[in-house]
Amino acid sequence: MKALGLFLGKHSKKLFTLLGFLLLWQLVVTAFHIKEFILPSPVKVFAYLLQPDLASKYHWPKHIGTTLGEILISFSVTALLGIFVAILITWSNFLRRAITPIIALFNSLPKIALAPLFLLWFGFGVIPNIMIAVLIAFFPVVINTATGLNAVEEDLLDLVRYLNASKWQVFLKIRLPNSLPYVFSGFKISTTLCVVGAIVGEFIASTQGLGYLIKSSQGTMDTPPMFASLILISLLGLSFFGAISLLEKLLMPWQRPE
Amino acid sequence: MENMKKMFHSLKENYQTPLVIVLFFLFWQFFVMIFKVPEFILPSPLSALNHLFLKQPDANYNWPLQISTTLYEVIVSFGATSLVGIALAILIAWSKTIHDITLPLFIFINSLPIIAIAPIILLWFGYGILTNVFIAFLVSFFPIIINTATGLNAVDEDLLDLVRYLHGSKWQIFVKIRFPNSLPYLFTGLKICSTMCVVGAIVGEFIASDRGLGYIIVNSQYTMDTPPIFAALIVVSVIGVVLFEVVALLERVLMPWQRSQTAGG
Repeated sequence: MKALGLFLGKHSKKLFTLLGFLLLWQLVVTAFHIKEFILPSPVKVFAYLLQPDLASKYHWPKHIGTTLGEILISFSVTALLGIFVAILITWSNFLRRAITPIIALFNSLPKIALAPLFLLWFGFGVIPNIMIAVLIAFFPVVINTATGLNAVEEDLLDLVRYLNASKWQVFLKIRLPNSLPYVFSGFKISTTLCVVGAIVGEFIASTQGLGYLIKSSQGTMDTPPMFASLILISLLGLSFFGAISLLEKLLMPWQRPE
Repeated sequence: MENMKKMFHSLKENYQTPLVIVLFFLFWQFFVMIFKVPEFILPSPLSALNHLFLKQPDANYNWPLQISTTLYEVIVSFGATSLVGIALAILIAWSKTIHDITLPLFIFINSLPIIAIAPIILLWFGYGILTNVFIAFLVSFFPIIINTATGLNAVDEDLLDLVRYLHGSKWQIFVKIRFPNSLPYLFTGLKICSTMCVVGAIVGEFIASDRGLGYIIVNSQYTMDTPPIFAALIVVSVIGVVLFEVVALLERVLMPWQRSQTAGG
């Protein structure tokens, strides 16, 4: 209860802006009699989500579940694979020289353009969407983690070398804890990217998921479910981001990020 | 002579990336040739480039038209985001009240997957190049405004105190202190933006367009015609990298006192 109060207090400004935004949206739609196929009112949008007779047509739980699943799996793969590659890069000088230019090159490419290719290779479905999300979200994690593993004070390394610390000890006790803030800033970037990847994959070809719902409702000019999906996607993205921030605070109690 | 030496030195410093690109293409070509990979799965880079440079019987593959469409979208959206983003950032930095109200909101919006809004933009504005420009604008707009506003505000308080004591006007403070101070942030924003504009334009073309490289990619996916997909991917990558490098070059020219290395995703 206290935590909730604290949360509300901390984010009161944001919540007020959000409420103000919804209110303004409702007022504009009502006052100017904007047609529903152009911009539905927020009340209408929420009705499509919550009112059983309207909502049942759209199978919300199925679509939310699909997109959420894609996001969670792609993020887990991204996090594990990203950290693994980053450790490889920092561990061996040879691998660093071989892999870093490739990663830097790919990082600057618009990877989302590869999405249709993944569909061609792996067919329709959830798997290609997950792979697209991993491809987009992967590089920030690698780059951030590798930067963190390397950003260790030279004096500290000299000291532990003098004390005959093994490479493994240096890694576990110095490099890894030191890299945590960088790892988490990489994670935070990749949370949004995982959502983007999953949604764009669903845009291009899919038969379920919130991105599919947006795209298919666009075809019929059925705007309320489009906006409802947008709100849900934003909520998924934000809660995911919030979960990562919480994990960051738990794992690094000595640091208070902004 | 001095210039030659400099160029040679920079080549020696930066030989890795071109080398990796060449090796990548060579590996790809030999991989396809040795394992006889069917073309509908993975064409060789040579066949992709052939498609790009040889005349195609199919009128759909009018490469100059497709490339110039995407290039136009990218450049117009990049120009629009930079101008509007920087102007709004200045407005935000000018007034403390506007700053406190809008910046958290922008940071909030920036954490959302903005690209999901693309089908709605399409519904509002219909098919066409301007729709894609607008999608690219929206996707790349927030990083630049957040970065520039942060940079304009991240000024040493002591320095501000000093110039206030010397009766520096708000305008002078802005031109001589805040603006130069914001440049590294601004360029980080522009670099992120350069990649995002390409992404926005391509995704817009994916969703609905009858022109552009994104259209080619999606359209060829239906017919399983892979060489044009890869040709389009190569061109898209070149556009992205060139725009990024132009911004990086501009950064080095405008801020000779700083050497920064950042890349956007």
